[in-house]
Amino acid sequence: MAAATLETATKELNQQIGLTTDGSQFLTFQLGEELYGVDILRVQEIKGYTAVTKIPNTPSHIKGVLNLRGTIVPIVELRTKFGMPTIEYTMFTVIVVVVVKEKIMGLVVDAVSDVLNIDKKDIQPPPQFGAKVDVSFLNGIGKSGEKLIALLDMDKLLSDEDLQEATTTVAA
Amino acid sequence: MSTDLSHFQDAFFEESADHLATMEEGLLNLEQHPDDLDLLNRIFRAAHSIKGNSGMFGFTAVGQFTHKMETLLDRLRNGQLSVTPAIADVLLRSTDCLSSLLEAARGGAAPDPETIAKLEEELASASGGQASPAEPGQGPASAQSAVNQAIGGRHFRIRWTPPSWLFQRGLDPIQMIKELEDLGTLVSRTLDLSSLPAFDVLDSECCYLSWIFDVETAKDKSVVESVFDFVKDEGMLTIEEQAKGEGREARGDAKELTAPPQAPRPSPLAVSDSEPKPLGEILVETGVVSRETLDHALSQQKRVGEILIEQHAATPQQISQALQKQQESAIHAKKGADTASIRVDTAKIDKLINLVGELVITQSMLSDLSVRFEMSQLAVLLERVAQLERNTREIQERVMGIRMLPIGSAFSRFPRLVRDLSGKSGKKIQLVLSGEETELDKTVIESIGDPLTHLVRNSADHGLEPPDERLANDKPELGTIRLNAFHEGGSICITVEDDGRGLNRDKILAKAIKSGLVSEQEKLTDDQIWPLIFKPGFSTAEKVTDVSGRGVGMDVVKRNIEALGGTVSIKTALGKGTIFTLKLPLTLAIIEGMTVRVGSDTYIVPLLSILESIQPKAEAIKTLVGKGELINVRGTYLPMMRMYEVFSLQPEYTEPAKAILLILETEGERVAVMVDEILGQQQVVIKSMEQNFRKVDGVAGATILGDGTVGFILDVRGLLEIARRETPVAA
Repeated sequence: MAAATLETATKELNQQIGLTTDGSQFLTFQLGEELYGVDILRVQEIKGYTAVTKIPNTPSHIKGVLNLRGTIVPIVELRTKFGMPTIEYTMFTVIVVVVVKEKIMGLVVDAVSDVLNIDKKDIQPPPQFGAKVDVSFLNGIGKSGEKLIALLDMDKLLSDEDLQEATTTVAA
Repeated sequence: MSTDLSHFQDAFFEESADHLATMEEGLLNLEQHPDDLDLLNRIFRAAHSIKGNSGMFGFTAVGQFTHKMETLLDRLRNGQLSVTPAIADVLLRSTDCLSSLLEAARGGAAPDPETIAKLEEELASASGGQASPAEPGQGPASAQSAVNQAIGGRHFRIRWTPPSWLFQRGLDPIQMIKELEDLGTLVSRTLDLSSLPAFDVLDSECCYLSWIFDVETAKDKSVVESVFDFVKDEGMLTIEEQAKGEGREARGDAKELTAPPQAPRPSPLAVSDSEPKPLGEILVETGVVSRETLDHALSQQKRVGEILIEQHAATPQQISQALQKQQESAIHAKKGADTASIRVDTAKIDKLINLVGELVITQSMLSDLSVRFEMSQLAVLLERVAQLERNTREIQERVMGIRMLPIGSAFSRFPRLVRDLSGKSGKKIQLVLSGEETELDKTVIESIGDPLTHLVRNSADHGLEPPDERLANDKPELGTIRLNAFHEGGSICITVEDDGRGLNRDKILAKAIKSGLVSEQEKLTDDQIWPLIFKPGFSTAEKVTDVSGRGVGMDVVKRNIEALGGTVSIKTALGKGTIFTLKLPLTLAIIEGMTVRVGSDTYIVPLLSILESIQPKAEAIKTLVGKGELINVRGTYLPMMRMYEVFSLQPEYTEPAKAILLILETEGERVAVMVDEILGQQQVVIKSMEQNFRKVDGVAGATILGDGTVGFILDVRGLLEIARRETPVAA
């Protein structure tokens, strides 16, 4: 009962401030000129970039670990992960802290831009490039005005190597 | 609602475990002091509590079995019987059985029904065997009904539906139940909740409950009736005297007692844990098939695995693998359940609350100061910050302290173990415990139980000589095993000491040579020989006994202790005895470490694994086949590894002569590890890497350094393994 009332209230409130709940909200961020989006419910916080501690013998896109208020959080460099060239960090470089399968991780991105509401009808399935371009970690492509936003599938993006590696190393 | 109940059930199991421990401890003492009435009363009370509580949760099997123990205990308590070793033995074995029954009620494997029946019989014959000569005319009556007779023999069934105004007049049904208990034995009580209305229409001042009691007493019906004097005018009360033994002989009937007969739907309390009856049972009960037909049909029934194999859907190997997996997960689940909760002394929590109060005060003083801060107040600020630091440190210590438990709980199983071992081997053994109040981390306590058991068994079986041999050697006939725990520095020492024959140098050496562990030419010192017994498969016992000698054990002991970050050492004198000393860290959450630097990275090396650190001379380093580096440390060549190579780091020095070598030891193996610099020694709090990431080879965990960045704690074993796996590192 109470939950339903709350939901209606939230809906009304969202409509008042111009956010419709038909569709989902995404936090968008930039990697170079490209825009990417993460389901807002997966985002725990956004923090400025601080130096991390490199973990020995890990793939290069695992930047290292960070002390997030007493918890050890691994940091993934998204540019390296996507095979894009690395750039110098600027004052806009941030870490987007996300929750994936009950684990907390940080993503280093060039800059955060907006929280966008993208209607279901504005989301199309990810395109196929074949082996040339790997886009298996995309949920779809969202359109918002003139912008194109690549929507990331967090579970695929981060669990594929980084977490599954855990099982293979343990088994070995 | 159901989750609530399961919560209470957990509490019940925990309490029952405590009661069981009390009973066992009491019974062991009782053997030494058979006349101690206090002790008997304590045991009786513990049994009684288990019985009462199990009835409340509907664990009938537990209740019934405990009742039989209680009957015997009651007769001992009343002086009708006296404690003999045989009786104590039966009672001890019954506590074991009771513990497995409780385990079964919790979802574990059910104990063998034959064992239970046999024990029940033994209990009955122990309590009835010396039945007073007052009733010689009993004749064919079973032992159980002889017990009934001894207690008073009258069995009343009371159905009581109290008037709804019961509570309004300040009458308490619990009081009446207590009075009934005082009359004799309350065999069973069943609560009927069927007239309980839905919660929203429930009037909290009305009584909606009714009960059925079965009471065994020597008193008259009028006495039983007098319990209900105040309430019998209204409501419903029937008191029937049952024929002797009725409802006690047949198990089926006993079951019926716990199910409220007039309740159309089962009372949620009584059956919350029991499964619905199997189809077969119902068919037999309703007379559709006979018991024999059912048994025959059941014997034809096959397990899923067998059926699958027959149909060639799976191979026997696959099935057995799956079964193993199933078992493992069951064990795993059980382990998880065991560590779920912790009992904390309320004094500890009170202290903690006080400290948090202080912290809040300090914090508000600080924020107050920060609002109107001037440079002139710097001294005050510094003082407040210092106070905050003190508070924080103390809270940290106290919170750690919550996980600390006295080691006595790990020791408590040994009196029983030694008693049984002494019985089996025919040796006379006394166990002396000391330092039980020494506190250490709960996880450590849970993990040292098995290694300690191995050591105590070993001492009893191999260490101590048989009585005649002891007498021949001018030793007292009674062998002593001493368990002691004490603090030493930042660690806990636990010693297992016996005054037996000691380790035999020649025997161990001969065995080691025979099994190829050492060559005949090697000259070994005593200190090098003793650790040989920790090698896998090493046993010098001439014959393998039921207790030990199979050569599994000591290596497991060493492995377990080392897994906890501890060490095992041996002191022994031939003919005088042996002392095993386990040295363990106080807690697993904090370790003492040496911070070292490699390039710009900081690592923490556990202090326990560091033997020494040296600054090597260039000529002390030799190579084998151009790659494998060895370092000469006072005449011994140790393999050397460069940490920056293993972890692919950017070092400051690649010249060993400029760097520092740490001599580390892991599982008896020594290696030299090259680092740039030693920064210092400090206590670090271990943080999990697996929580958000995964296990990283060579890293035991992470910690947060003074500057807020993350440092890794070195896993020496893992480091070695990486180095060996990828020896030809392209550096």
